[in-house]
Amino acid sequence: MSKTATFLNSQVGRKIATGVTGIGLVLFIIVHLIGNLAYFGGPEAINTYSYTLHQMGPLLWVVRLGLLAFFLYHVWLGFSIWLGRRRARPESYEVYASRGWPSRQSWSSSSMILTGVLLLLFVITHLNTFAFHDFQTAVINGVEMHDVHARLTEVFQSPLYTIYYVIIMVLLGMHLRHGVWSAFQSLGWMSRNTNPIIYSVAFVLALIIAIGFIGLPISIYFGLV
Amino acid sequence: MSDQIMTIHLKIWKQNDPGSSGKLVDYTMDDVNPDMSFLEMLDWLNERLMNEGKEPIEFDHDCREGICGSCNLVLNGMAHGPEPGTAVCQLHMRKYKDGDTIVVEPWRAKAFPIIKDLVVDRYAFDRIMAAGGYVSVNTGAPADANALPVNKYDADLAFDYAACIGCGACVAACPNSSASLFTGAKVSQLAHLPQGTPERKRRVVKMVDKMAEEGFGDCSNYAECEAVCPAEISITAIAEMRREYAKALSEIV
Ligand code: SF4
Ligand code: FES
Repeated sequence: MSKTATFLNSQVGRKIATGVTGIGLVLFIIVHLIGNLAYFGGPEAINTYSYTLHQMGPLLWVVRLGLLAFFLYHVWLGFSIWLGRRRARPESYEVYASRGWPSRQSWSSSSMILTGVLLLLFVITHLNTFAFHDFQTAVINGVEMHDVHARLTEVFQSPLYTIYYVIIMVLLGMHLRHGVWSAFQSLGWMSRNTNPIIYSVAFVLALIIAIGFIGLPISIYFGLV
Repeated sequence: MSDQIMTIHLKIWKQNDPGSSGKLVDYTMDDVNPDMSFLEMLDWLNERLMNEGKEPIEFDHDCREGICGSCNLVLNGMAHGPEPGTAVCQLHMRKYKDGDTIVVEPWRAKAFPIIKDLVVDRYAFDRIMAAGGYVSVNTGAPADANALPVNKYDADLAFDYAACIGCGACVAACPNSSASLFTGAKVSQLAHLPQGTPERKRRVVKMVDKMAEEGFGDCSNYAECEAVCPAEISITAIAEMRREYAKALSEIV
């Protein structure tokens, strides 16, 4: 046990933990995105999808608690690494500049703490808007279930909420642009040759996820579905 | 034209001792030869200051050919200046334009305290090395070179990592002041060689722990270190160090 604690507290262990929790959260996000796409299949598709998830019972709770733990640990590590910066360099440079490639200092990597905090706040409001919402019920094939379709349609009628949601998804894309690549580097899954490839793949993945999530609210708002 | 004399404006960090606070001081050099190295220009400036009875600017240097790792200046915010793969002693004034202003600062990190002006104490690196960056062998007659086979792939990688000159630019340029590139290069170099294998696990654990203990920051994979490294060490060294560390779990206490 104390071995595990020593490992997790080491500088390498902290990176590996950030990477593992990050990858876990990205996998969840991908599943969530695929779930969202069910909206395009109409009320029956998305409501049944949500109903099926809820029928999973204890397993669902295992996943939920696991996600919560990953999320909190990821947030804590992020803060702790960020707070360590000042300690490691109490007096900053009068002038500081990046040398450019192969440096990965960018709008994405330099704003991880900012995008991270905003995503954290978003997740809280997001759970409040959907997960903890008192849903209307719909009856599909004789089964009574939450009308997720109606809720989504209602929420994304509001221009303010839609704009807010779209902005947050852009921030998510920014966070993942550095985050996904960084996770691979943190876990040591990288060689000199794969490094630039994974850096590009991470960009494409971040783009797909951001665009994927933006697609639904935009389609609903403009009445495309 | 390389025989054209240039004027260069310098803002140089002056600090009396570790305890006092420093500040940037302006100097103008109106007779800089473009073929001077950056350090030669500082020599020239110091020569002048001494003739005027003033105290010269302290800066570190030794080999002046990019191999010892002593020179350590941050020029306009970039460790070792703007040229990729170049230690500041190998940087020439022809890379600058007539009339340019250059801000000159020391490495800044808690683990590298300033001794005076531009000179910092980099013993923290020596202590990381002393924690495990060596191979314990009994001395004796050298073995036949071909008695210990090393495949070319590993030999090449080890050689790339061995190019690290221990200058500390990686720390200086890192937004977090992490020493991961230096430590990664040392760990990975030995991990690729048969001589390094017996102590491999203990080495990585000791060196990684030492680097945190010395007050270097966490790595956020910014890769700024690779961009400023005069030996162009790749951050793959850091990825390898992490693999090594994960494989050394049994040695963690
Ligand atoms: S890794 Fe590069 S920048 Fe860091 S100490 Fe070695 S030579 Fe200098
Ligand atoms: S003085 Fe030796 S590397 Fe620059």
